[in-house]
Amino acid sequence: MKQVFIIASKEFKAAFKDRVFLVITALFLLLSIISVYIGSSTKNAEIKAYLDIVALLKAQGATSFPVSPQLFPLAILQNIIDYVSIIGAVLAVFLGFDAFSGERENGTLKLLLVRPLYRDQLVTGKLLGGGLVIGVLLCVTLVFNTLLFSIVSGLTPTFNELSRLLVFITLAFVYMMIFYIVTLFVSIKTGDRTFGFLTMMVVWVFVSFVIPQLADSQRSFAYALNATAQTVTQMPSDTVISKGIEMFSPAVQFQNVGKDLLQVVSETAAMNVFDILSRQVLSLFYMLVPGAIFLLASYRAVQKEDVT
Amino acid sequence: MLVTDKLTKRYADFTAVEDLNLTVRKGAIFGFLGHNGAGKTTTLSMLTTLLLPTGGKASIAGLDVVKDNFKVRSLLGYLPESVMLYGDLTAAENLSFFGKLSGVEKVEVRIDEVLGLLGFMDWKDKKVKTFSKGMRQRIGIAQAILHKPKVLFLDEPTSGLDPQGTKDMRDLLLMLNREWGTTIFMNTHLLSEVTKVCTDIGIISKGKLLLADSIKNLEQRFPEAKSLEEIYFKIEGGDRSEAGIHHSL
Repeated sequence: MKQVFIIASKEFKAAFKDRVFLVITALFLLLSIISVYIGSSTKNAEIKAYLDIVALLKAQGATSFPVSPQLFPLAILQNIIDYVSIIGAVLAVFLGFDAFSGERENGTLKLLLVRPLYRDQLVTGKLLGGGLVIGVLLCVTLVFNTLLFSIVSGLTPTFNELSRLLVFITLAFVYMMIFYIVTLFVSIKTGDRTFGFLTMMVVWVFVSFVIPQLADSQRSFAYALNATAQTVTQMPSDTVISKGIEMFSPAVQFQNVGKDLLQVVSETAAMNVFDILSRQVLSLFYMLVPGAIFLLASYRAVQKEDVT
Repeated sequence: MLVTDKLTKRYADFTAVEDLNLTVRKGAIFGFLGHNGAGKTTTLSMLTTLLLPTGGKASIAGLDVVKDNFKVRSLLGYLPESVMLYGDLTAAENLSFFGKLSGVEKVEVRIDEVLGLLGFMDWKDKKVKTFSKGMRQRIGIAQAILHKPKVLFLDEPTSGLDPQGTKDMRDLLLMLNREWGTTIFMNTHLLSEVTKVCTDIGIISKGKLLLADSIKNLEQRFPEAKSLEEIYFKIEGGDRSEAGIHHSL
């Protein structure tokens, strides 16, 4: 176990010495902070406008007033879902793309594998190191955003809101780790770090853009078909086919659960965390499956590796 | 100290090493000679547990390199042909990392000892990416001997070094062998180095061992030969049966 921590510690330090990684991290943090600020300001402006209208109506002697806007505080953070889904995934890819291929190209893989160290310990060490980096990054994001949320909106998060935030950050961690694990596998299997990075960029584009767009296209097609045939009630727009396509995108599954947790969907905004997780159990399953498969494949691949 | 029994490595389309029978005694400095592509590095990779043999056996200090690979790795030190450590880390940080992985106690003290031995203390806190080839080779040997290995494997250790660097490496190997009793297995194609450093040699060609013997025995077996170079070309040229040379030491 000691060996695992030695490798993890080195990975952790190396990540924070990498300038490109630091730039992407800074961008990630900056975007999330800007997002909270804009979200809070917009919500405050909305409330202020409503109060102004009520005051004006009162001054005019009106007795009935418009319904107050629904206030779901966590929805202020909703843009973070996209940032994690897109930039978080890139960050995880950047963190892991040369985890093995880089060692192989440098010649340091040989130096590692002639030590009293099991090969699976090397994989575990890399996973732990990458996990620590992602964890620290997400914790910083959580603290920054919760503070900013309180300062800008003037609201103190309730227990339910805090627990939703914590579960969301855990979910974001799992999502980023899935990308890290897949990247690690590609890095073990490819001899060239550039090729590995490009492969993962193709995967990222498919998972984050192509698959969701295919599912949307299918939905639009179904909607158009229904509209033409006027059979809207017979064939729902959210078809089994589009759901089936989305199954292959952890990004879509992450967004589905994330939207529920951050009160973007009004039907689930009042639910507690456990109810949301039970409701989204299939999405969580579809998200975790590729991670589990590639995790096992990584351990298997590294055992078979002939180091020349 | 090191024994191989019909050690073989086959790939889909060719055999890199075939039925290698070799014995290296404890305390020897063994020079493994052969031209490029002869199978030296493949053999060394199997002995250091980096490659799985497809046939035969090999053991170091009685431990099987496949079955007891973890224990074997704690006995060996390894210097690859071109040493590329972590460029963004300093010499000391690199050594600390590899030392800890090798289970070295009081690693910082040990780093100072080894760097002192190599005359490298002034470079301790410099990043490795700023080092020349010769300096990288020195730091490479430092990581290989940090944990006082019983057997030291070196792949072309003097490749790319200037004459002074070559001499320093030679002196260091002799010192390690003499003072620490380290058994040394080095791949090389520099016959001059072998003559100056090695006590025993093996010659491999096209994956097959042609000869393994001590330098002293070779001199007796080839009294007419003026140099090791002459013996090497005689063996490599196919005079093995004529000379009556066997594979054992």
